[in-house]
Amino acid sequence: MKRVKNAHFGQWIDPSQTIQFTFEGGLVQGVEGDTVASALLANGQWVQSRSFKYHRPRGPLTLCGYDANTLVQTPVAPNLLADRLPAEDHLAVTAQNYTGSLHFDLSRLLDWFGRFLPVGFYYKAFFKPRGIWAWWEPIVRKTAGLGISNLSVKAPYNDKTYAFADVAVIGAGPAGLNAALLAANAGAQVTLVEQEPRLGGSMNYHAFEGNYETTKSARDALVAAIEAHENIDVLCSSTCNAWFGDHYLPIIQKSRLIKLRAKQTILTTGSSEQHVVFRNNDLPGVVMCSALDRLMRLYGVVPSAPVVVLAGNDLAYRTAFSSQDGGANVAAIVDLRTTYNDPALSDEAKRRGIALFQGCGIYEATQGLFSHGLSQVDVHKLDERGEVAEKLVSIDCGLLAMSAGFMPSYQLACQAGAVLSYDDSTSQFQLSNLPQGMHLAGSVNSVFSLDLVEADGRNAARQALSNLGIAPDSETGSAEDVNFTEQVNHPWPFLKHPKGREFVDFDEDLQIKDIINAARMGYRDIQLVKRFSTVGMGPSQGRHSALPTARLVAKTTDRTVHETGVTTARPPLMPEPLGLLAGRRFHPLRRTPLHHRHIGLGAQMTPAGSWQRPAYYGDPVQRTACIQAEVRAVRQGVGIIDVSTLGGIELRGSDAPEFMNRLYTFGFVKQPIGKTRYAVLTNEQGVVADDGVAARLGEYHYYVTATSSGVDRVYRDMLRWNAQWRLDLDIANVTSAFSAINVAGPLSRQVIESVDCSVDLSAQHFPYLAYQEASVAGIPARMMRVGFVGELGYELHVPSPLMGELWDRLLTSGKAHGIRPFGVEAQRLLRLEKGHIIIGQDTDGMTQPDEVSLRWAISSKKPFFVGSKSVDILSKSPLERQLVGFELGATSPQPKEGHLVIRNGHIVGSVTSCEYSPTLNKIIGLAYVHPEDAVPGTTVVIRTDDAVHAHARVVKTPFYDPDNLRQAL
Amino acid sequence: MSVHLDHIFESPLRGLSHEGDISIHDLTNRHRWGLRGQGAAEALRIQGWDLPEQPNRLVASINQSFVMALSQREFWVLDPHNDAADLAMGNDFTTDAYPLFCQSSHAWLVLKGSETSALMAKLCSVDLRPDAFNLGDVAQTQMALINCIVVRHDLAGDDVFSIFVDQSYAEYALEALLDARQEFL
Repeated sequence: MKRVKNAHFGQWIDPSQTIQFTFEGGLVQGVEGDTVASALLANGQWVQSRSFKYHRPRGPLTLCGYDANTLVQTPVAPNLLADRLPAEDHLAVTAQNYTGSLHFDLSRLLDWFGRFLPVGFYYKAFFKPRGIWAWWEPIVRKTAGLGISNLSVKAPYNDKTYAFADVAVIGAGPAGLNAALLAANAGAQVTLVEQEPRLGGSMNYHAFEGNYETTKSARDALVAAIEAHENIDVLCSSTCNAWFGDHYLPIIQKSRLIKLRAKQTILTTGSSEQHVVFRNNDLPGVVMCSALDRLMRLYGVVPSAPVVVLAGNDLAYRTAFSSQDGGANVAAIVDLRTTYNDPALSDEAKRRGIALFQGCGIYEATQGLFSHGLSQVDVHKLDERGEVAEKLVSIDCGLLAMSAGFMPSYQLACQAGAVLSYDDSTSQFQLSNLPQGMHLAGSVNSVFSLDLVEADGRNAARQALSNLGIAPDSETGSAEDVNFTEQVNHPWPFLKHPKGREFVDFDEDLQIKDIINAARMGYRDIQLVKRFSTVGMGPSQGRHSALPTARLVAKTTDRTVHETGVTTARPPLMPEPLGLLAGRRFHPLRRTPLHHRHIGLGAQMTPAGSWQRPAYYGDPVQRTACIQAEVRAVRQGVGIIDVSTLGGIELRGSDAPEFMNRLYTFGFVKQPIGKTRYAVLTNEQGVVADDGVAARLGEYHYYVTATSSGVDRVYRDMLRWNAQWRLDLDIANVTSAFSAINVAGPLSRQVIESVDCSVDLSAQHFPYLAYQEASVAGIPARMMRVGFVGELGYELHVPSPLMGELWDRLLTSGKAHGIRPFGVEAQRLLRLEKGHIIIGQDTDGMTQPDEVSLRWAISSKKPFFVGSKSVDILSKSPLERQLVGFELGATSPQPKEGHLVIRNGHIVGSVTSCEYSPTLNKIIGLAYVHPEDAVPGTTVVIRTDDAVHAHARVVKTPFYDPDNLRQAL
Repeated sequence: MSVHLDHIFESPLRGLSHEGDISIHDLTNRHRWGLRGQGAAEALRIQGWDLPEQPNRLVASINQSFVMALSQREFWVLDPHNDAADLAMGNDFTTDAYPLFCQSSHAWLVLKGSETSALMAKLCSVDLRPDAFNLGDVAQTQMALINCIVVRHDLAGDDVFSIFVDQSYAEYALEALLDARQEFL
């Protein structure tokens, strides 16, 4: 191979800027603009991978990422396409899927034993005798591996963005460029999406009408106009990877996923060149004609060894001539046809001194004696039926470029519901049944000559503009005639060989006989052939195998290709990293206004739903001691806890009492103003859904708390119910508007009094369960006397922006009383000592009020509350379980939440809460037990870690201060 | 009725500004209040406020303030030029106009710069480009998976986005904005 850089070759490279990277540990020198594949080819490195099943050596086939032959690995990721991977300094690239080395792959033995691996063999093997799969699995996984994921690599930064356009044009070849420009000139906002790093599509590498100079000039003019156009958003190196409803297009641009919502979509996605199916058509050095064009025009890599062109259409001649213009030695053109569309091509070939074999084919390609690459091709005559006849000649060559035709890049259109049909008489495809707002142009629309492709692009834009309601004017012009008659697809590009290895699907190593055998085994439907043989399931997704498979199945089942059809195209179009779909890792975190104060006090934070809460304060090494010290502070002195995560809902309006009465289980109509009441919510199934405290602030004003994790659901349910009941009230979720703290402990009253409280805090004036509005340290506060932790305590709810100041004042003044902040861990233990349940922890999605002894919280006088009928029905059935308190000795194995309660060998319940209580010096907990065991004094068996059975005693709750004297002080 | 306070409000974002081609400013402590209910619009009109004709719009009103309509019955009055000195406790209401808690419940961020639409496109699925999202438009949507209100308006001659998020998410929202801003610095 040699490098050429001039006005017509090496368009994308800068030879003055060299790049060095490694491939399989060896140093490779490339130039700026190279891909890894082009740099390797420039260095004569044709073998770049091993095939999936037979481990045959493989090299680039399309040079545009449309085949799996260039799958390589970097330290960061496996399964990267070398012909899309930019060559960069210090990049370390390795091949994948081999045993030993790339050039001496021990797994190549599989190729020699290929006859024992017929199509669908995996459906018939590996499962007998029973259990043998365990032996096979690691072998199969290793053999069929497609690279190694580096689990220690730092996840790359992926993100997503939303975009919008009047018209999305997918593909920036001649059709796309013309469509985008016309639409933008008419005033539409256009997004132009191109897979390659530069605009131009086939105009970058193909000499339309045999003249690269005019092609290039036309391209440059279009590209310049587009890049300067303010209405066009150009996205290069971007892949539109799917089509979803209403023109929602996921576009992958490097590490970004762009979600484009377009009003109209113009698909100018081009077409995939098709290969000729002959023996050893997979040898490194056998490429598509367009791949050779790309190699020379884009990267300036010119073959040194002789080139043979295998033509199924006129376009292949252009490749032969271009190659010769670039300095390659074109030894021959072998034309599968007997006639051309353009007779002048044969004259041109003769004039150039290129041997021309008409009505012939390549029967076999031969590998070099000391290399894995191509060294020779055998040219055979084809008879009038297209079958292989006598051999004419063997030609030494290092590169074979082939073209059997083109298949529309139909995937996006078919994902949108379009139907791909095949005309057996002309061997042409047609896409129809396009959804509203989708348009086709260019070779995806089976139009190939440049002037018609451009006109087709403009016509598509006119249709899109018309749909957008943009009236045609002098800028848009009127529709142009696009009549296309040139035949580019050869009808039967198969040269079956008795020794096989004529590959239909390179990804899956499927040969002619595999497809025929699948059809003969009864899999007549093309979809079943796909599933049985795995044809089209590889990374290429049938771009090259769909058409030859359809043809082979059609012939084997005595049908037309049109009747046979092709396999379904589903998203994604190209392989996509899962990290890209995940995007940036958004983890919404809620912080209370005191968050940074907690951190400053040494809090160990713990997630509580989306909230961050202090678990405890102090050194994690002394976790237990810290928690116990916090518990002692509350029991013996005073503690303060941030409960801002509590849900808060404001109910205001003349029907607020009625609404409360209908929603919660207790009676609320007669709740006195200035009093709080425990509020339990059941759902329509009678299940305990949430709880909180309802404070009545006024005649028509309630302030209700809800669990931190449940408040959004409660609020939503309130809105839903009131949409039905149409009561006169306003419901506001004020969780964030008010922050709350709980000052608890025998000394809590003194602490609050010390910061200048506007109300009398004595038990007489502010008794247990009372509510008062006060000024505390000059800050307006809603105060409730509640006793979740079982001590004298005050819950202060204040506007969030003022909470920090109140906290500071209380901590400062409380110092004299030994105030200590306490966290969630201490709070859980304190409330457990009081036997208070936590909804969601001590209840589940089936818990009915009677199971958790909440009958007292249900009004029997009300005609209705949400769930009342279900609660009535459930209460008439015998209980199947009951939540009870239990205790164990301090040295007993400690049950954990979720540990099972066993009765006569059967599971009857589980532990929901369990802690060691330093106050009581015993292990205490709550567990669901059989109702017959709910009597205090009964012993229940709890299966703890390592299947150790703990014999716990059922006791009456509260465990601590059973007469509730302390909270009422 | 609102309560007058001598205390300095504490913003979760501490009132900081993040300068750059796209600058992010914390206006959480600036004054705002709201009314909701059947009679909210009428109550505001009586007080002399100009109201948007449609929901999800914002208009400039008296005293360099804005009035934002979140529905036919819910209005926020935004005063970006003055710090909050009082706030609603919610107690004083008529049965057709309920004071809202937007001063305490939400953080207020302002995005300023030429690429703010592109930045927001990384976080929010609504088309916020100037052609699609005009001055005075309001979107009640999501940003980086949290609920938010996004408004485009003029602020002292600058075309800005005001973003209101639940104050407990304020730091998270700012982190998401700063992260998204990286490529525009």
